[in-house]
Amino acid sequence: MAALSLQGVSFRYPGGEEAVLRDVTLELTGGGVFGLLGPNGAGKTTLISIVAGQLRGASGRVVRDGALGLVPQELAFYPMLTCRENLRFFGGVQGLQGASLKERICAVAGLARIESVLGRRAGELSGGLKRRLNLAIGLLTDPAIVLLDEPTVGVDPQSRAFLLDTIRSLAGPERIVVYTSHYMEEVQAICERVAILDHGKVLLSGSLSDILEDKSGLLTLRLRPALPSALAAEWRSRFALEDDGGGRYRLYVRDVNQALDAVRAAGCEPLAFAYGERDLEQVFMQLTQRSLRD
Amino acid sequence: MRALLAFWEKEWLALSRDVHGLAVLFLMPAAFIVVMSLALSDVFKEDSARRTGFAVLAPGSPKLAAQIAEHLAGEGWLAAPAPADETKARDSVRRGDLGAVLVVGGDFPAAPTLTVLADPALSPAQLVAFQQRVMSVALGLKRAPTVGLEVVGNPRGGRPSSVQQNVPAWLIFGMFFVVMPMCALFIVERREGTLARLASQRVPAAMLLAGKIGPFFILNLLQAALMLAAGVFLVPRLGGEALALPARLDLLAAVSASTSVAAIGWGLFVAVLAKTMEQATVIGGVGNILAAAIGGIMVPRFVMPPAMQSLAELSPMAWALDGFHAVMLRGTSIALPCLKLLLLGAALTAAALWLQRRRGG
Repeated sequence: MAALSLQGVSFRYPGGEEAVLRDVTLELTGGGVFGLLGPNGAGKTTLISIVAGQLRGASGRVVRDGALGLVPQELAFYPMLTCRENLRFFGGVQGLQGASLKERICAVAGLARIESVLGRRAGELSGGLKRRLNLAIGLLTDPAIVLLDEPTVGVDPQSRAFLLDTIRSLAGPERIVVYTSHYMEEVQAICERVAILDHGKVLLSGSLSDILEDKSGLLTLRLRPALPSALAAEWRSRFALEDDGGGRYRLYVRDVNQALDAVRAAGCEPLAFAYGERDLEQVFMQLTQRSLRD
Repeated sequence: MRALLAFWEKEWLALSRDVHGLAVLFLMPAAFIVVMSLALSDVFKEDSARRTGFAVLAPGSPKLAAQIAEHLAGEGWLAAPAPADETKARDSVRRGDLGAVLVVGGDFPAAPTLTVLADPALSPAQLVAFQQRVMSVALGLKRAPTVGLEVVGNPRGGRPSSVQQNVPAWLIFGMFFVVMPMCALFIVERREGTLARLASQRVPAAMLLAGKIGPFFILNLLQAALMLAAGVFLVPRLGGEALALPARLDLLAAVSASTSVAAIGWGLFVAVLAKTMEQATVIGGVGNILAAAIGGIMVPRFVMPPAMQSLAELSPMAWALDGFHAVMLRGTSIALPCLKLLLLGAALTAAALWLQRRRGG
């Protein structure tokens, strides 16, 4: 079973004034997709680079149990070579040859759906195809730990959806996928566990369901028609009701079913509601504050 | 080994698709060879502006030797201290340190023999002129009825013709220009994150650099073969003198290989050092042009003043040219120039490796 353990990892770039990572501790075992979130400059790429062995000089311990494949943020391949030549080179460098190399090229080309462009020069591909080639190269050795650093940057919605499906399909009990992104909806859609990193520190880590669970009793509602004014006035004092004037309401209740029954009894139809769950973006913004980072 | 082969294959493919890089490596030196060989063909036939060193060796009579040297000096002939004995005199001439040495021997003063040891690089006109000066001095001294003449070294040799100067010179220049395509690819690899990806695959820095050495070594030898062929076949078709290849092609290959080692070491060092293509152009491109200017590539060393000739000794391109001329003109040993080139190549490669490791590659 693949495992990745980071214990007290700290790092400062040579000549840098501040540490980029401070005492980062994470334990990843048992497979699945792990989301690593953070604003620009939080230290995500530095952390990925240390785990991948690109950056040396970090204090603390990084223990990898299983082969590692990196899909960097950059399109790290040779634009003057064809896709097949790129795959053959990166496979050859990692010791693949002969039939096993051909087999792996076929497998990853199929997974990334680039079979039809294997003979084309990588530099001539569209942005989405380049991202898919970048992903395919990282999977050549069938690694147990896959590091994906913002793999959907600059692609169209179709390619993004395809990449997310592919990444989701990669994860399993024998494989850990570490996924960094700015896109909260992506992380929420594919990750089972997440960590939020800012200023080089882990602010929060755990299972996505635990992180998103909201025990404050917040109920958000969209109703048609609007609540009768008498009921609204009563709930304003009892449940701290807020409304936006357009049929959207926020209130804090202990029993959601009782609240919904009362709404229906007042002649309103709940078009949408959410209770007991936060949005990942809310959690992220709450933890990392709203100030601009770039 | 499989990984190294993968690197070599990648490098070949990338090189073969770098049209501009190939033009710099093949068309540029070929154009220089043709143009400069034709343009300077007459200049190399003349002995203008050349001052030739000579010495007089009179065993047992240094005072007489100094007296004769004083009479011989002038009109392009510059007296130099006499070598210790005839063997050393021959070595000095063979190395080209002295153009001629007059050996005064025999039963002196009753029946002396006068022998001139001459550098094959001297033109026939210079030899005759020197003989005449010796004759006139001898007649003035009433000591020698005849003057013997012995050319030391390869009798086919001589001062380089235009094509003998320009073919090896621009070939060397072209070989050192592998620095540009080497830098271009290495900088792309660093900028696009390919080096970082390879580092994550635990590819050692030594493998990264070794992956470039093989293809560029073969490329350099290919350059050497094609540029020499241009001197042999192309220049005469355009009205110039054909390049005569020496009998020892193996020595020519050895000098070419040593030059390639130095050129590749230089290329690796600049590729690792430069962070942008602009920096690579300044360090590699301008560095090459300066080395060529002072190293006798653009201007033959024998027309340079003594101070510049001393400066030329610092240029690796001058070492390479010495090596080529040792094979093609003098028939002398290539050991020293080859050793210098190999040591430089090894030192630069080691420096590149150290720098790359330091940067975490």
